[in-house]
This record gives sequence, C-alpha cells and structure tokens, in this order.
Amino acid sequence: MLSGAAALGAVGALGAAGCTRVASASGVRGGDLLARLRAQGVVRLGIAGEIPFGYIDKDGRLTGEAPELAKAVFKRLGVDRVQPVPSEFGSLIPGLKSQQFDVVAAGMYVNPERCQQVIFADPDYQMLDAFIVRKGNPKGLHSYRDVVEKKARFATGTGYAEIQYAVEAGYKQSDILIVPDQVAGLNAVEAGRVDVFAGTALTAREVVKKSGKAEATAPFAPLVKGKPHVDGGAFAFRLGETKLRDAFNVELRKLKRSGELFRILRPFGFTKAEITDLTAKELCGG
Amino acid sequence: MKWDWNAVSDFMPEFWHGLLVTLQILALGSLLSFTLGLVWALLMRTPSRWVRWPVGVVTEFVRNTPLLVQLFFLFYVLPEWGLTFSALATGAFAIGLHYSTYTMQVYRAGIEAVPVGQWEAATALNLPRRRTWTAVILPQAIRRVIPALGNYVIAMLKDTPMLMVITVLEMLGRARLFSQQHFQFTEPLTVIGVAFILISYLASLLLRALERRLVR
Repeated sequence: MLSGAAALGAVGALGAAGCTRVASASGVRGGDLLARLRAQGVVRLGIAGEIPFGYIDKDGRLTGEAPELAKAVFKRLGVDRVQPVPSEFGSLIPGLKSQQFDVVAAGMYVNPERCQQVIFADPDYQMLDAFIVRKGNPKGLHSYRDVVEKKARFATGTGYAEIQYAVEAGYKQSDILIVPDQVAGLNAVEAGRVDVFAGTALTAREVVKKSGKAEATAPFAPLVKGKPHVDGGAFAFRLGETKLRDAFNVELRKLKRSGELFRILRPFGFTKAEITDLTAKELCGG
Repeated sequence: MKWDWNAVSDFMPEFWHGLLVTLQILALGSLLSFTLGLVWALLMRTPSRWVRWPVGVVTEFVRNTPLLVQLFFLFYVLPEWGLTFSALATGAFAIGLHYSTYTMQVYRAGIEAVPVGQWEAATALNLPRRRTWTAVILPQAIRRVIPALGNYVIAMLKDTPMLMVITVLEMLGRARLFSQQHFQFTEPLTVIGVAFILISYLASLLLRALERRLVR
C-alpha cells in the first residue's frame, strides 16, 4: 500500500512539474529526475524477471545483478529505497518511456537501436552468447552460422538482441520462434519444439542447471558485420535524463575501481572475465 | 502522438501473416467446437448415467476453468508426458475444446426445443433411433441454433489473441513483435484493432444472411 502511495506521489510530482506523458525530461536541462528521486527517497526499477539479472527471489525479495548494483549506486546518490516493477523484457523500453519506472535494471545489452530510444550508463558487465541445446548437442550447434547451415529450428526471447545476430548470420526472421523468456526457451528445447535457444552465456548456464534434458554450449562471440562482437549490459534511462545518467556513471566507475562491483556481481555467477571497461558510447556505435 | 503511415506500410506484410494465422485458428477452432459440442450434447442424452456423469464432469471442468490456464497446461505441461504438438495445433485445439463446452449447451437447447410431437411421430412411424436423430430431430434442432453458434464464432475470434502466450504469432503477436523491434506501438495495434472490428462485422453480416435462409 505504501509503495502504491509512493507511485501515486511520483505521478503527482510529474503532473506538478508539468510534463506530458511523452516528454522524457521536464524543462530543466539534463533532467531533474535525480532531484525528484532524492526527494522521494525511492527509485522504481524496471526488471524482466530474469535470473540472474533482475528477479524476485523465493522469499519475495528483489535481487539480481542489476537490482543489487542499483541498491549500492542509488544509496551513494542519496536514494535509499528501490522498488521493483516486474515487466517483460520486450516491454522494458516502452515501460521506461511511459514513466512506469525510472530506470531499467535488467542488465540490458547496449545496442545502436536501443540507444535511439533510451540513454545508457556505461556497461556494468560484458557478455558472450551461448545456446541452450538438447543434451549432447546432437546437431553440433556452436554458432549462429551452424544454426543456419544445419537448418536448425531456432528460438530466442522477445526483444532479445539475439534476434538480430541470427538474422545477420542469414536466418529468416519470420522462422524464428519468439518465446516470452529463457525458461520458456528451455522448455521449447526440452519439448523438442526447437533445436536451439539463444541467450546470454550466463542465463544459458544458469537456466539449464535444473534441467536433465538440456545443456548450454560454450560461450561464443556473435558476428556483427563480420566481426566478433562482445556485448555489454547496462542501466537504461529516459532520453534527456543525462544528469542522473552521469551521476550514476561516476559512482559506477568508483565501484569498478574499488573492486566492489565484482563483489556485488560474483554471487550471481559472474566471473572476473565479465568485468569490463567498455563504454556505452562504443556500443552505441557513434 | 504522431501517426506514421510508413510504420503502417512496414507492418502490413507482418499483418497478413498474422491475419492468416488468426483465420486458421478461427476455422479450426469453429470446426472442432461445433463437432465436439454436438458429440457432448448427444452423449448427455444417452440413458446410461455411466456416460452422462463423466461427460458432465469433464465439460463442466473445461467450461469453468480459464482458457488461458488451459493453454498454458496444454502447451507447457503435456510435453512433460511426451505429448508435443505445434503451438498452432495446441492453440486451435484448446480454443475448440473450450468453446465446445459452450456449444453443447446451445445444441441441448436446440434439441429440447424440437416439439415433442416430432418424437411421437417418429415413434409412431417406427423409425429406428439413428434415423429419428439424423432425419427428424437434428435437422430441426441445428437450424434453430445456427445464430447462437455464430455468436460463439465471433467470441472465439476475440479470444484468439490469447494464443500469443503460447508463442502463436497471430495478429496481436505480430503487432507486439513489430512494436518491440521498431518501438512503434500505436500504428500496428490500431491496424489490428480495425481488422478485428472488420472481421467481426463481416462475420455477423454473414450470420444474418444465413439466419434469414435457415430460420423460417
């Protein structure tokens, strides 16, 4: 009830600031969201319910790589509480733009298409892709090219960057099976509806742990314009909220340097190899 | 809010694919619900309670649980027991089964509305039981219920977007996929909204024509 009231308060504040529903930042240059969040003492995080990026655990608590990092960073920015807004991965950017939450905390990959819709902090991790396949990898699938050449039936999640990687490798877009999340993807592989589900190396690794019928392939870099591409996941903010984004980046950099970032990420299965110096600018591609 | 005609034309190829799938589901679902509903209705009239009782339980159960839950069950749980069908087949089956429990009541009403004199006449003529049903009762009963059945076709049309949750890319699924890729929501959703109105309206016109021919 309290959180409901807080959300109402946020809406009221927006109304008072006189922004329309679509305007991403109100009059102030660089956005005044950080000041508003400080006044409210709570920030709403859009999460996609994906282990280990951002999810609600068995005890009903918000956790995951991105929410835990958000708690640390926002505490330093003077915002004490975080409030999860569960959504579907494909609805995160629309939800952010329509003010349903203040930040996307789902470990979202930074790519040029998304950079046109939102602004990203610098990546908090870097990541390769991996496939979920049936035990023993009967079709021998190790890359997107294999999927095309061996005519495997391919699935991935709604709004995933992996759709584009498969299309770049020559897979017909209309033949891709789009499932709601990685658990549905695992299920599709187990049930034999598809041969392969593509996701991040980490989700693939984690989600097959409980499965007796499926396994994850070794991580690999997808090809973008013929070159291996390393992805980075980051927090996303509404266009124009550069003040908040820049303040976030400063604290993130401090956490990286002190090694605190790795301590936050490690419980979720991240390794040292996944800590990165990539910037959002590089991944947005100019 | 801006309206972008380019988004509409970009969406149209996707839309036709989606429309085709929606119509396929509708055709298969209608066919299944009409036949299965008749089967349930006839089984409920058998003298043996060993038939009536289980059929009653099963159909009540299906009618009183949400279609969405049934879709999830058929798509995600049945494969655990080794029964895997394509998403489209699962969806059409689920919608057909669900609506058959409604159409059975329609058929029941139609059969009960046949005047009792028709039964007596069939008995007086010493018609065999099968012939009584196929030549006397059902033709009159079905004719009466066509308009009611037609309403369920329109209801089914409006339930087809639910199949999106089991990865069937019907009209709504296509629109959402398009929106998520291009971040344009207004245009594709409006297009399919208009399509739903047009299809329901055409279907109801068709029904009215059919009604005029059949019910005299």
